[in-house]
Amino acid sequence: METSDSECFESADEEIYAENENKKSKKVAGSPPSKEIPCETEHISYLKTEETKNERTNILDSNLQVDEDKPTKIGLSNTNEPEVITDNNTSNIQEEDEVNMWDEDEDWEPVETKTEIKPSESPPLTINRIWGWDLSAMLNAATVGVTAVTTQVSQGLSNVLETGIGAPDPAELARRTTQEEHTHDAEITEPSTNSSTNLFGFGNLVSGVTQITKLVETTGNKVILGGLDTLETIGKKTMQVLQEGDPGLKKKRALLKIEGEKPVLSHILREAKEKAELENRLLEEQHFARKANYESLFDDHQGLVHLEALEMLSKQCSIKLERLIESQSGRELVELQETMNQIVELCELVDDDDELEDASEIKEKLDTAVSEMVINISYDKVLTTRKEAEQWLDNLHLGVCSELELHEQAIDTLAQLTALAVERYHKIGELLLIKEHRSTADEADSLVQVTTILTALIGNMATKFSNKLSEKLSDSTHKDHINTLITNVYFESANSTSYLKNAFQLLIPVLQVGAI
Amino acid sequence: MSYAYLFKYIIIGDTGVGKSCLLLQFTDKRFQPVHDLTIGVEFGARMITIDGKQIKLQIWDTAGQEAFRSITRSYYRGAAGALLVYDITRRETFNHLTTWLEDARQHSNSNMVIMLIGNKSDLESRREVKKEEGEAFAREHGLVFMETSAKTAANVEEAFINTAREIYEKIQEGVFDINNEANGIKIGPQHSPTNPSLPGTGGQGGSQGGGCC
Repeated sequence: METSDSECFESADEEIYAENENKKSKKVAGSPPSKEIPCETEHISYLKTEETKNERTNILDSNLQVDEDKPTKIGLSNTNEPEVITDNNTSNIQEEDEVNMWDEDEDWEPVETKTEIKPSESPPLTINRIWGWDLSAMLNAATVGVTAVTTQVSQGLSNVLETGIGAPDPAELARRTTQEEHTHDAEITEPSTNSSTNLFGFGNLVSGVTQITKLVETTGNKVILGGLDTLETIGKKTMQVLQEGDPGLKKKRALLKIEGEKPVLSHILREAKEKAELENRLLEEQHFARKANYESLFDDHQGLVHLEALEMLSKQCSIKLERLIESQSGRELVELQETMNQIVELCELVDDDDELEDASEIKEKLDTAVSEMVINISYDKVLTTRKEAEQWLDNLHLGVCSELELHEQAIDTLAQLTALAVERYHKIGELLLIKEHRSTADEADSLVQVTTILTALIGNMATKFSNKLSEKLSDSTHKDHINTLITNVYFESANSTSYLKNAFQLLIPVLQVGAI
Repeated sequence: MSYAYLFKYIIIGDTGVGKSCLLLQFTDKRFQPVHDLTIGVEFGARMITIDGKQIKLQIWDTAGQEAFRSITRSYYRGAAGALLVYDITRRETFNHLTTWLEDARQHSNSNMVIMLIGNKSDLESRREVKKEEGEAFAREHGLVFMETSAKTAANVEEAFINTAREIYEKIQEGVFDINNEANGIKIGPQHSPTNPSLPGTGGQGGSQGGGCC
């Protein structure tokens, strides 16, 4: 089996041999061997462990055939391995041998270089392999596989001694292997007469075993290191290309904004934080603002939608009137326009400073005013809301209620009253439109009265709230703030009044439609 | 309350079919057996969620009485959805559907989503209009159909929400121009970012609207 294997790998042997020669020459150049040897090649040879086993044997064989001294060289090179040395005696002997060998061989130069370089660098792989091969060859010959070696190693030194004792000088063994393959077994068992050789052999064997384990280890390391080396090479090349015409990569950095990246991150975070804080603050303000926002409260009480509906109704009536005016001409048109203008005049509001104090008085006045329109409409909701607000104010404990709460209540009351009033205007409009017998003048008069009462009612309500706020003024530290709130209440009161007046104005076309 | 969209609905149909009761059931989740006659139009509002967006439904509950017909017509304008209601126990209310539908189509925008509702489904013993008839009418006129009961609340939510979903889909399809308030859709005010369901909605709605147009 062995022989056939050897034959099979003959061509490969040549390559590896050539490779080894190559390495040697490179080493002569003085560069560190491990760096010099291309990683790829190393990998291949390591990965092919099984194959190379045989290859090595052949290398050795061929070497031995050519030059009888080569095996010795191999032995020597191995002894220089620091890890291999397990025994002081052995190393001493090895040294002796070394000297002898130096003297003996002329064709020694490449190996000499090796020995010089090796100690400083990691052990040249070729040698390791060769030695590994040597041992494997021996073990193979002794029908012990790599697994067995591993087992032996794990079993301990005693086992190694048992099986390995009496092993001849590996160099000699190697030589013999080629010469008499079949008698190998016998040779191994043949007791060695030279104790020193025996020891040396033993040392080599031990180191060989170590070498195998080491081989495995280094294979792993080399794979990793080789991979890293490759990456390093790629990285270096990449940088080289990148830096061409752009020293320090300044342009590219600027392009990719690498420089500005770092401060930006913290900047972004800070900005985000500030933004969040601002949003929260705005939110809080919005929350309070909304709570006391007249328009949104007016909408919440459905004032806006009623106003919208009233607008639609008013618009519809206006369209109707426009069509009528367009269809009229001459005297009829003049008369019609006069009627229209009269109605507008009827709807003019006069400033009435009537003070509304009593709830029953207000109700009475409103009822009277509404009755003139001859429609089924009541202002009970408005009056109830007004009453409730009044009660709230009466039961108010100023010490407990903050000025903000008071203001909030004031705005809400005004918005609600206005919304209800607008709703009433809307209802009046709808009811007047379905009324069979219209009396425009009465309706206009009634609406003027109603509007006057309602605006007075709202103004009165605002005053009551403002008075309460003023009471707070005396024992408050934020007088400015309270004054602002009081101003706001009066402002929204005026706003309410304009809503009512606007709603009333929207009813004018409804009244006009009734007059034609 | 902040919302992404506001949809205007109108509820139309003969008097006494239960329009106001449907609204009350939807907004207040209660039933009032005796309801005052609606004058002109009354309003109801409720917030619903569609596709994670808050939508405010502003419902215009119109008077069914013939006297108010000319008034209520003026309110159709700008409605995004309409609930056309009839009473399954009164055939004449079903017979008047065509008139109501013509009125609605004439006075509102063509994209308005109309949901046909056969109300009072709880009064099965007094049924005069078969469900199939309602379905056929809806199919014929391209309406969505549903039988509801304002009393038991059966299908009430669904009727309002399904209509809203249809409108919402039309917005997504770009059928409705949300920037034109005549379509009955208003984009909500700026939303408060605290509401997790809302933050993007306003912006998204806006951008979608932009895309649509």
